Amino acid sequence: MQRSFSIELPSLVPLQLPSRMETHLWYILPNEVKSTSLLKQYSQFLSPSEKDKVVQMKGNKLKKNALLARILVRTTIARYQTNYVVDPRSLMFKKNLYGKPEVDWQNQKNCNNPPLHFNLSHTDSLIACGVTVHVPVGIDVEDKERKIKHNVLSLAKRFYSTDEVSFLSTIPDLKVQRKQFIKLWTLKEAYVKALGKGFSAAPFNTFTIHLKAGTEGGYNLCKTSEVNSLEETKKCNGEWKFAVLELADSHYAAICIEDDLASGGAPMKVIVRKTIPFVEDELISESKLL
Amino acid sequence: MATSFTSSISMQPRFSQATTTRFSLQKPVPVFKTNLSFTLRPRSMPARLAISCAAKQETVEKVSEIVKKQLSLSQDQKVTAGTKFTDLGADSLDTVEIVMGLEEEFGITMAEERAKEIATVQQAAELIEELVLEKTA
Repeated sequence: MQRSFSIELPSLVPLQLPSRMETHLWYILPNEVKSTSLLKQYSQFLSPSEKDKVVQMKGNKLKKNALLARILVRTTIARYQTNYVVDPRSLMFKKNLYGKPEVDWQNQKNCNNPPLHFNLSHTDSLIACGVTVHVPVGIDVEDKERKIKHNVLSLAKRFYSTDEVSFLSTIPDLKVQRKQFIKLWTLKEAYVKALGKGFSAAPFNTFTIHLKAGTEGGYNLCKTSEVNSLEETKKCNGEWKFAVLELADSHYAAICIEDDLASGGAPMKVIVRKTIPFVEDELISESKLL
Repeated sequence: MATSFTSSISMQPRFSQATTTRFSLQKPVPVFKTNLSFTLRPRSMPARLAISCAAKQETVEKVSEIVKKQLSLSQDQKVTAGTKFTDLGADSLDTVEIVMGLEEEFGITMAEERAKEIATVQQAAELIEELVLEKTA
């Protein structure tokens, strides 16, 4: 029986659910997970189809990252089951109409399942999972030093909105311009992922994300729609909240959650933890909000 | 199993236009399953047999080159028509850079919604040929 493996690993420390307007962000740094026996134990938690997908990845590094992504999602969600202990292995997932992954609670005995939402993002060197309660969430992480092979403004002109291109064009320092491009990318990706309706629901050039004037790090979403080819109307509303922060000094992480109007316009609170599942969890007390 | 697969493919005339013989290749795997009597799993599927009647091999190779370049893969890295970008570690930013690289190489423009749906080399090659045909028509 596989049971002997779960006895070897310590149980996950249970946690309180995030409050409304709060996002919990968990991340793994693959370079910190070196033990092959630990990786082997992690693989015991995956479903057959997840194992298949890991095998499909080309190369050991990608296989390892795919495995870590799944163990991160499973253990993160399992931590929040406060009524009884949930085996991460027992969690089931499904996709919404548009392909966005979500938890399938139907196999869980407890009917009072927390309305947990999650979203995953990974890069070569960091894998992150965001968790919220009641509201959809989207996250995206990117390496700050990520190589961009094309000219940044060409990419922006091709894919971003006109206002965003204007914003990027006014940045004289090319290094800063590139960083802002990447930050904007993560924000836009996070929005599309939070929306959960697939890429075609929100093409990148149909919305602008920009800093709210006069506030500390608040971001605004404005949707542009063409009334006719000469006129564009912009609708900016507070339906979505954004946050961008730096993780591990190396990555930008953007989070987008649907606004709960009861929050009264308060900024999103983000609690960041670094983890090596079953080995150690570290609360990152200073998450630099950008 | 493999023999029945091969024989059904060989019935497809090689010279037929993509429009008439694209029985499943532009759609995700589940549709593919309904056309054939057995389950295909990605790692056992001889992808090159499946694509020989759709996009030209030349296009597939050019796409593979561009993908390898964008993802900084070694020349040894095996990239075939059926290879999924995500299996090579491409994220969404990589995908749009690949799209830009393809647009530059072939002198076409892909609508964002279609571009973001490209998951494999094969799908990219097919879309490219479709757009190149439209351009020269």
